[in-house]
Amino acid sequence: MQLTVNGHSYDVHGEVGTTLAESLREELSLTGTKIACGEGHCGACTVLVDGEPILSCITLVHAVEGAHVTTIEGLREHPMIGAFVRTDALQCGFCTPGQIVSAVALVESNSTPTTEEIRHAMAGNLCRCGAYPKIVEAIRTWQG
Amino acid sequence: MELRRASSTTIDGLPMHGGTEVVPLLRAGLLQAETLVDIRGVVPRDIAPGRIGAGATLAQLECEPGIPEVLREACKLAASPQLRNMGSLAGNLLQSTRCWYWRLNWPCRLHGGDECFARDGEHREHAIFANDYCASAHPSDVAAALLALDARIRTTTRELPIAELYRLPTEADRNTTTLETGEMILEVSFEECEQSVYLKAMERKRWAFPLVGVAAVRRGGETRVALAGVAPVPWLLADGLDAATPLPRNAYKVDVARALVKRARATIGA
Amino acid sequence: MARLIRTEKEVEGRYEEVWLVVEEDSLDQWPAGPLEIVGRDALRVDGRERATGQAVYTADLAKPGMLHTAVLRSPHPRASVASIDLAPALALPGVHAAIGPGDIEQLTADCSFQGEAIAAVCADTLAQARAALRAIACEFEVLEPLLDPDEAVRRGSLLGDARERSRGDYEQGLAEADVVVEAEFRTQVVLHSSMETHQAVVEWIGEGVEVHVSTQYIWGIRDAVAQGLGLPADKVRVVCRYMGGGFGSKNGPDDYTFIAAELARRTSRPVKCALTRREENTAAGNRNATIQRLTVGARSDGTLTALGGEYVNAVGWSGWSAGTEGPMQMLYACPNVKTITYGAKLNLPPMKAFRAPGFVEGTFGLEALLDELATKLDLDPLELRRRNHTDEAPEGNEYSGKNLLECYRRAEPHWERRHEVRARSTATVKRGVGMASQIWYGGGGPPSYAWIRVGSDGRATVVTAMQDIGTGTRTAMAQIAAEELGIPLEHVTVTLGDSDRGPYATLSAGSSTTPSVGPAVRAAAADAREQIEEIAEQRGMKGASIAEVVDVLEDAQILGKGARGPNPTGKQVLTFGVQVAEVAVDIETGEVWVERIAAVHDVGRVINPLGASSQIEGGIIQGIGHTLSEERLHDPATGRLLTTTLDAYKLPTIADVPEIVSELIDEPDQHLTNLGAKGLGEPPIVPTAAAIANAIRDATGADVRQLPISREEMLRALREAEARQKEKVGAPAGV
Repeated sequence: MQLTVNGHSYDVHGEVGTTLAESLREELSLTGTKIACGEGHCGACTVLVDGEPILSCITLVHAVEGAHVTTIEGLREHPMIGAFVRTDALQCGFCTPGQIVSAVALVESNSTPTTEEIRHAMAGNLCRCGAYPKIVEAIRTWQG
Repeated sequence: MELRRASSTTIDGLPMHGGTEVVPLLRAGLLQAETLVDIRGVVPRDIAPGRIGAGATLAQLECEPGIPEVLREACKLAASPQLRNMGSLAGNLLQSTRCWYWRLNWPCRLHGGDECFARDGEHREHAIFANDYCASAHPSDVAAALLALDARIRTTTRELPIAELYRLPTEADRNTTTLETGEMILEVSFEECEQSVYLKAMERKRWAFPLVGVAAVRRGGETRVALAGVAPVPWLLADGLDAATPLPRNAYKVDVARALVKRARATIGA
Repeated sequence: MARLIRTEKEVEGRYEEVWLVVEEDSLDQWPAGPLEIVGRDALRVDGRERATGQAVYTADLAKPGMLHTAVLRSPHPRASVASIDLAPALALPGVHAAIGPGDIEQLTADCSFQGEAIAAVCADTLAQARAALRAIACEFEVLEPLLDPDEAVRRGSLLGDARERSRGDYEQGLAEADVVVEAEFRTQVVLHSSMETHQAVVEWIGEGVEVHVSTQYIWGIRDAVAQGLGLPADKVRVVCRYMGGGFGSKNGPDDYTFIAAELARRTSRPVKCALTRREENTAAGNRNATIQRLTVGARSDGTLTALGGEYVNAVGWSGWSAGTEGPMQMLYACPNVKTITYGAKLNLPPMKAFRAPGFVEGTFGLEALLDELATKLDLDPLELRRRNHTDEAPEGNEYSGKNLLECYRRAEPHWERRHEVRARSTATVKRGVGMASQIWYGGGGPPSYAWIRVGSDGRATVVTAMQDIGTGTRTAMAQIAAEELGIPLEHVTVTLGDSDRGPYATLSAGSSTTPSVGPAVRAAAADAREQIEEIAEQRGMKGASIAEVVDVLEDAQILGKGARGPNPTGKQVLTFGVQVAEVAVDIETGEVWVERIAAVHDVGRVINPLGASSQIEGGIIQGIGHTLSEERLHDPATGRLLTTTLDAYKLPTIADVPEIVSELIDEPDQHLTNLGAKGLGEPPIVPTAAAIANAIRDATGADVRQLPISREEMLRALREAEARQKEKVGAPAGV
């Protein structure tokens, strides 16, 4: 099948049942998307499908044929990256790509979210290191 | 396994919409399927006054000004943002219990076995009503909201009140819904109401299933209250909370429900 | 000059006597306060790699020909494998090898806890390995598990001897008391829940092995793997450049490293063995449950006369009995203290160190008990602590440095908010403020080494085989080197995480990385700087910048080396602090939420205030999870775990986080190394639970006695308080 990721089209060959996260990581070597629970509970695998943040670890790759997938690799130039670094909004960094994908989706639809809106929109991205206060700060000040 | 895209509402295989429930259950071995049918193209998702396509996502509904507060808030407080982007209204209504014994595939009654492990085991998140056969709790916030709204469900074969979508599991039939194989929910409809509210007690501020969810709707001088997380099915609070039959470690849910029902009624001026 | 000494080494509160070769630390400490780079905010030097997903974690590693592993783990807490047949697994497509009980030490047929490894298969893909695992025919004889910690103590099922510690005359102290308060506290099992699960990729190359592993201790893995595989240690290369969280759970090789090594040996392929989240929540370690039966006696002015505790650590099948009694023994001036600590050996998955093991649990019990005492004595809780403060370590040694009274002083403005906070209570939502003190280790120790090289471009590379587990130590080392060399932070690179590329450095546990490796990095930088100064003198360029001096070097490099010196003899190196929590309690629904936590800690010199504030926030947030929402549950009848997924095991979300304000005393410990810096990884989680519990008491009068403070526990405590109130005034409460 054809999979469109970050504007490029790829042939992927996984069997039906393969998840989008598995295809991205194993077949396309786009390992910025992390798998931390593999069951849709933690948000580390968050990517955008047609602009909406979804959980790639419980999305079958065959179900996104024809859609546009954006991963952290496609957001390298987004100012949100710099905002996370500037505010120290990451520690171990394993959940961070997923956090940034969710954060980008939030500010693309609402460029100046309130703290409450951030807490609501980011609640599906768990961070065990507890970078949360600075994630709020990063998103509040993402435009610099 | 194969994945087909449905071309009509007559399907042969396991229907899948957002996949937030189907995919994890398949991968955990709790569901088996030869053929998955992607039904996103055939289930309506438009939202009109009093009428919602079953394919609308919870994310659409949580910011939809035209629907009652009770439903909007139930959608907003359900699951996580990503799951709300993926999950459909119908999928939410048809989700399985979060009972850990069931999810971990213990041979419990819902799985066809002859024991409810939760009753004598860890049941702090479990049912306080109708829990003598199976103590699982129904986790859908949205179902409680629709039950309070006395919504009607249109499926591929019939139309029914939402209360009739659900059934308590019995020795003869362990299902918790009345849907037939191949039958799909297409639309949900409800009458206008004057006031409504959804209150939810959970173990963290977001991204948790309801310990107790209270949906209350006032319409024409009558108030309907329905609860999530308190029985194996969404629970219409007809006989009050004194009728609850809590287990040793979940009696607190009765207190929580009592407080939230009182507040919900006060909020809508019941 | 190198010197051989016999010294006590402390890790996670456990001491052992060791011989150490140490090098004298001849550098004077820098003056206190912010310098040019040290003591000032620095952005994480590897922040961009981590944020963009370019950082390669063990989980991201894909070597050519690499095989994937699935591990058969016991589903039962206690069972023996009656029969097992690996042949059906081997017959499946893609499968390369399967190993079972006895093939390696880590695979067993006698399972003593759920999750113990029995067999493993490796295949071309993970899906094939998992399918093969399902094909293994394995029959169990299920045996009765021992699950109850008190029962284990009664039966003598203990890990090690019961630990008795006492000073003074406890009975006499109780007799002298005007007031005695007793209470039983319980804490639950919580899971580290590192986002990157435990995993390793092992490949045999030549006569040795290369081990990529998500670890907090490269050198510990190197030694353990060498010993386990019968190799000289220098034939084991251990690599971990980025790692996705550990919190104490990734100090050792565990079973997966050896499983991968054996499968790699058999297949001559690189093999990855990664735990699933469910395996992680089962068998990757935990903070064990405790039962604490505590007594405090005090005079009416609040002076403590006796402290006593019986502690039961529900350790699990193996591990160690952490110092849960530590805070009771160490925090206050009380002359008469008597504790006994049991480590209950149970058929439950083994504990591992988890961010200040023992002290988190013990501080909850002790500090909650002290507030119950304060209530009885009608004393201000902060004043009660001040009255029992000690400048002399009650166990004998002097403190190397202690600024707890200064922490209390700086906490006062936060403490003073309690009147205003309480006033914001409503009929159903009660608000209150509570505080708790913190004591913990964090001084680190020798050995640790660092090298540094300076090129003709004036840029420096620090080389040390330590690890940055997400705490920001890579950045701190760069700051220290830049400060000592007098060059910009951007001109320093830190190479770490590879035992073949750099000298030994400490494990990243026990808040030890910065205080252990930091002084070695400074010494290495100073060595290089001195050499550069000599060259400057020879070139007649005294006072010129490093870049100017070294620009004639061409390909020549200045190489510096440094070692961590000894800890101060005869002194206890400890960290201190206080936290003040503001909570709200919905007295009808039992919901508790934290609105604000103020933290003031004394950890010596602060290297990076920005990174330090992140550590404090992270510790507090883990503490909030521990206090309110996290609990590993097992089925009471069978002992099988129920919360093996992250929907059932509830970590805090971003929506659960209160306002957090933090402050550090930033006073270098003048006796400790050339930096005077202690570690900060653990201290911030220590007092959080107790501060929250005490705030709940302030808000409601209810004594919460167990963690997590679920709605069930909160409503129970409220009912108990109401009954007590009725008894007291002979009328319904709240009228």
